[in-house]
Amino acid sequence: MILTFLSKLKARETFEESLDISPYAKMMGFRLRRQDGILTTVMDFHDDLIGSPFPKALHGGTVASLLEMAALMQLTWDRELAHIPKALDVTIDYLRSGKPEDTFARARVFRMGRRFATLHAEAWQSDSEKPIASAMLHFQLVK
Amino acid sequence: MLIPHGRRLGLRFVEKKENSLIIEMSFNPELEIIPGSGIMANGALTAFMDTALGAAVYDQFDLYRKIVTLDLRMDYFEKPQPFSSVIVKTRCLKITNQVAFVQGDIYDSEDASPIAHGVGVFSHSGVEKTS
Repeated sequence: MILTFLSKLKARETFEESLDISPYAKMMGFRLRRQDGILTTVMDFHDDLIGSPFPKALHGGTVASLLEMAALMQLTWDRELAHIPKALDVTIDYLRSGKPEDTFARARVFRMGRRFATLHAEAWQSDSEKPIASAMLHFQLVK
Repeated sequence: MLIPHGRRLGLRFVEKKENSLIIEMSFNPELEIIPGSGIMANGALTAFMDTALGAAVYDQFDLYRKIVTLDLRMDYFEKPQPFSSVIVKTRCLKITNQVAFVQGDIYDSEDASPIAHGVGVFSHSGVEKTS
């Protein structure tokens, strides 16, 4: 379903689509954007993403989740896969506190092997030069 | 659960021990990555782990401390059973004057082996005065 969704978008150079085909992605407010050939996953801010009410800050888990989604999207975008890749592990470094605003994430495939892929992802808010978190992820590509 | 995102995930305290907590995340169709699959999204498990480990650190202090995740590592051993709720058992390994080292295991049933493992380092600090 997600693979079909992505393959339908392949032909379009520029788009911005909600990921609400997935209940969890809908709950989180994830959107997928493509501009100048670059894929970005967006997390729309809403109050359910708050982890600390005073001062208002994003829950770290939501940022982790966004990074994982961005990596999964990049991986399935880059390669025709028969199955959704299986996440093996993710290591997240929290760099700055997440403000109560929209958050963006981009992932890069470091290495794509036959069985495994290694990715790096970064999340930022208003200033893309100041990432709020980064992650290293490993996926298993075949069952 | 006071944290808005923890409430949204439907988290519930189950048990509290000296240096360990048990927290439950009930199955909810909104947590499915694929509709109707009954499988919770990995992202939900990660957010669950982050909340639980943070709570485990928070619980180690008598006075209010501000807890911030510095890093978190998740290992996904296997998918949770479809439509099953999950629990996390946390363990505080070490607390220094600035940070806490914690880990946790997620289970989808009482007797089975863990389905995911998490390790985190959290900073803790007193409340800064705003003046």
